[in-house]
Formats: sequence, C-alpha cells, structure tokens
Amino acid sequence: MKTQTYFLNLGPQHPSTHGVFRVILELDGEVVVKATPVPGYLHRGVEKLAEARTYTQVIPYTDRMDYLANMLMNWGYVEAVEKLLGVEVPERAQYIRVIVGELSRIASHLIAVGSYAADIGGLTGFLYTFRDRERIVDLFEMLTGSRMTVSYFRIGGVADDLPEGFIPLLQKFLADLPGLCDEYDGLITGNEIFQARTKFVGVIPPEKAINYSLSGPNLRASGVNFDLRKNRPYGVYDRLDFEVPLGKNGDCFDRFVCRIKEMRQSGRIIQQALKNLPEGPIQAKVPKVIRPPAGEAYTEIESSKGIFGCYIVSDGSNKPYRVHFRRPSFINLGCLAELCVGWKVADVIAILGSLDIVLGEVDC
Amino acid sequence: MLAQKVTVQYPDEKIELPDRFHGRFELDADKCIACMLCANACPNKVIQMERAKVGKKQYLTKYVMRIEYCMFCGLCVEACNQDALHFSKVFNMNQYFRQKVRLILVDRPVPQEEEAGEAADVKRPATEGTAGAKREVAAGRSAAKEGES
Ligand code: SF4
Ligand code: SF4
Repeated sequence: MKTQTYFLNLGPQHPSTHGVFRVILELDGEVVVKATPVPGYLHRGVEKLAEARTYTQVIPYTDRMDYLANMLMNWGYVEAVEKLLGVEVPERAQYIRVIVGELSRIASHLIAVGSYAADIGGLTGFLYTFRDRERIVDLFEMLTGSRMTVSYFRIGGVADDLPEGFIPLLQKFLADLPGLCDEYDGLITGNEIFQARTKFVGVIPPEKAINYSLSGPNLRASGVNFDLRKNRPYGVYDRLDFEVPLGKNGDCFDRFVCRIKEMRQSGRIIQQALKNLPEGPIQAKVPKVIRPPAGEAYTEIESSKGIFGCYIVSDGSNKPYRVHFRRPSFINLGCLAELCVGWKVADVIAILGSLDIVLGEVDC
Repeated sequence: MLAQKVTVQYPDEKIELPDRFHGRFELDADKCIACMLCANACPNKVIQMERAKVGKKQYLTKYVMRIEYCMFCGLCVEACNQDALHFSKVFNMNQYFRQKVRLILVDRPVPQEEEAGEAADVKRPATEGTAGAKREVAAGRSAAKEGES
C-alpha cells in the first residue's frame, strides 16, 4: 500500500540532539526517507568576534566552542598563534598541555559514552560517567579556577603551574580509570539490548568515512588508522607511547567502544607525561603585546571529536585579520543525512548520538 | 547501593572551593593605581573606571564591572601587576533585577586638594570596611540606574 510521507521535526529542543540542533525527518510510516540537518541555532560568530579581539583575548572564546573538551580548543588556537609567532613552548608547558589535554579528552568521551547510554535508554550509564567526570572537572577547577570555561592556555605556554595537591588527586583518578572503564563496559557495552540497538546500525564503510572527511573516533571506528597524535605528532606526543584503538564495522557500536578504549589510552598517556614532567618555566618569552608578522598559519590538533584546525591570517597588527576554525563536530555531521535514510526514528537518535557532536562547536 | 555518596546537600553542606576559584571580584582600592591594564586586557570591555589626577598620581574614583558580560576568564586579574584585583570565592551573584547585577567595586569622591597630602584621609573610604562599602554600592547602584534610563 502506498502511503503519503510526512515531516517530523526532531529538535531544536530535544534532549537527544545534544543541544539546539534540528533534523527535519521525512518519514514513511516510521522509516526515514530523507533527513535534513539544520544547524545554526547556537551560532555566536566566534570567528568574527575574534577579529575585534587581541590574540590573547580570543582564548576565552575558544573555550566556548567544544565546551566539553575546552582545553583542546584552547590548544588548537594557541598552537596556530605560536606557529605564526615562531615561539618555542617550554618543555614543562608542553607536558602540562598533554596532561590537561588528555584529561579533557577523557571528560569529553565520558560525556559521549554516558549520554549515548541515555540516548539508547539506559539512564544509569549516564549517571555513572557524570560521577566520574566530576573528578576531572574538579581537577580543572583546582588548576584554573573554572570548571568548564578554563581559558588555561596562553600563547607560548600555560597560565599557571600545577597547584599543590593536584598530582596526587590526578594519580588517584588515573589509578581508578581502568576500573571505571571496566564498569562502563560491564554496565553499557555488555548490555544485550544496547548491542541489539547499536550493532550494524548506521554503518560507515572506510571509503565513505574518508570521503566525508570524518575524523576522530568516528573515522577510526571504521577501521581507518589515522590519529594526528601518531601520524603528524605535535607537542611531545612523539615521545609518548600509546595505541590508537580501531573499530571493524564502522557501526554505532564500534564508535561507542572506540571512545572507551581511547579513554584507557589517554590514561596511559597522562601517566607517562606525569612521569616525565620536567621542571622549568611554563611560559615562553613572548612580548606583552602580541603582534605576529603579517602572514598566515594553519595548525591542526587531534581533539576529542576529531581534527580541530585553526587558520589565522595576520596583517601585522595586534588583532587577527581573520580566524577560521575547522570544527570536527560540524564536519562529522556531514554524513548524517545519508546515514539516517532507511532507518527508523529511534535509530536516528542512536546514529546521531554515536557521532558525538557538540553544538557549541558545530555552530561555533 | 553500597557505595559512598557522591553528592552533598547543598545549602547545608558545601564543597570546599579551591584557592584559584573564579568567584566575584575584589579590588584592593589602596593598591590600585588606576593604570587601566585590567580594563584593556578584558575581551568584553567589562571594566569601566573613572580616575582623577591627585597631585602627581592617578586616583581611582570609580570602578564598575559590567559583570553580566564577564566570562570569568581571569585575564584582568592576570594583567594587574599591582596585585589589586582578585577573585573571591563568592559565586552566588544572582540578582532579581538587572540593574543590580552591575558590580561596583569603588565609587568615591576625589579627595580635596588640601586633604590629598594626608594619606589617612585618602585611604579612609576603602579601609572603612564592609559597612561603608555597602553604602557606597547602594549609592552607586542608584547612580547606575539613572545612567541607564
Ligand atoms: S574575567 Fe575576563 S571577561 Fe571578566 S572582567 Fe576579567 S578579563 Fe573581562
Ligand atoms: S590593573 Fe590593577 S592597578 Fe591597574 S587599574 Fe586595574 S586593578 Fe588597578
């Protein structure tokens, strides 16, 4: 029997869209015929705002892009300015960056894992990951004074040294981390209903992942081994030993599992960074007023969602002429329309959740 | 179920805040030399100040923070090289009226020429303590209200 298709608005205010994001679904019964993502509800014009700010003053705005992995956003931006200026970041600052950056990655993945469990219908998992993320947020509060909008990186270094009592707390967390990951695996990954809902759903084959320019865990879940920390190491990542977890099928389940595995690896990275943490300055000598020579620079880092790039054009003044951010969440979202076709409404939630977007970054 | 509780009963129990906590601002008016470094460091032009020349020195007469635009990034505190501006641990800054959000840290008259020599007199408004400060804030708020309307 031929039936008429109808439209369903998913979002913009819907808990499963992880923010203010709208998908217009054209449905035939319960099956998606066409999905049209509508981003832009959280657009604040960060790139434009940056043009009216000095180089240092842009840093707080980067926090507000991927607010779940704030340190990594700071990092991506300062890295580009440092390239433009040609400053060498001191060793200690490099290691501190790795420590807080990886902590950010764990915090971001904890949210991804927990909220994905909630998307699939298991709210318990959500509470567990948020309980543990709180410890990271507390560490950040101790280090920077803010829980989420840290503004911790500075051009040529970091804002402050590690406070007293930070390292013991961090070590305790790292010691607990593998156990916590086991707990999530037992509670969420091993759940039969969870597996039935996610395995072989929303499959992205490797070629398609590359063609859509996916990055981060979404790309690696399809079995493509590409991680900037390994393939094009920045900072001190070339001195650290870790593995890049890969998926096989590129389905929702693999994307989810990849994140838990990455958390374990991040724990290992922080442990090594702590062991090798040298003494010394945390800030390179940069002039008070930062005026990079006219020119342009583009740098990329591996953020928790994928490749975060920052492109800056300088006209020689103390304010950037143009800033552009390559936000992985936005680009990863490109494949959503195609992925959803043929699946039921409930699976759309599963697919969207598995891509792990954060709207602050999508809309920028 | 057997695990320890991870939450606290907020108004009765409070978590201890770290020393670096970004709470409401405090300004040590005696240390401040009205150099404007903090105001210039701010990305959002939150800090507005007025100053007057007393003798050879700049004298801070008004220091208002448009706290509704503040990101609590700490660039202003970092910029101050006189150690005058600080974060406190007060995070409860909610107000029922928009006009009251504005944070007035200093609002005082310019000391008279002849009094300027007497250091004690110049310092008086700032060192008087909280009671005096409150009165100043109240006075400042009504002034801000007039300015806005
Ligand atoms: S904390 Fe940041 S936004 Fe707030 S007044 Fe200071 S510099 Fe401005
Ligand atoms: S930077 Fe410090 S001394 Fe200068 S005006 Fe601001 S608070 Fe006062």
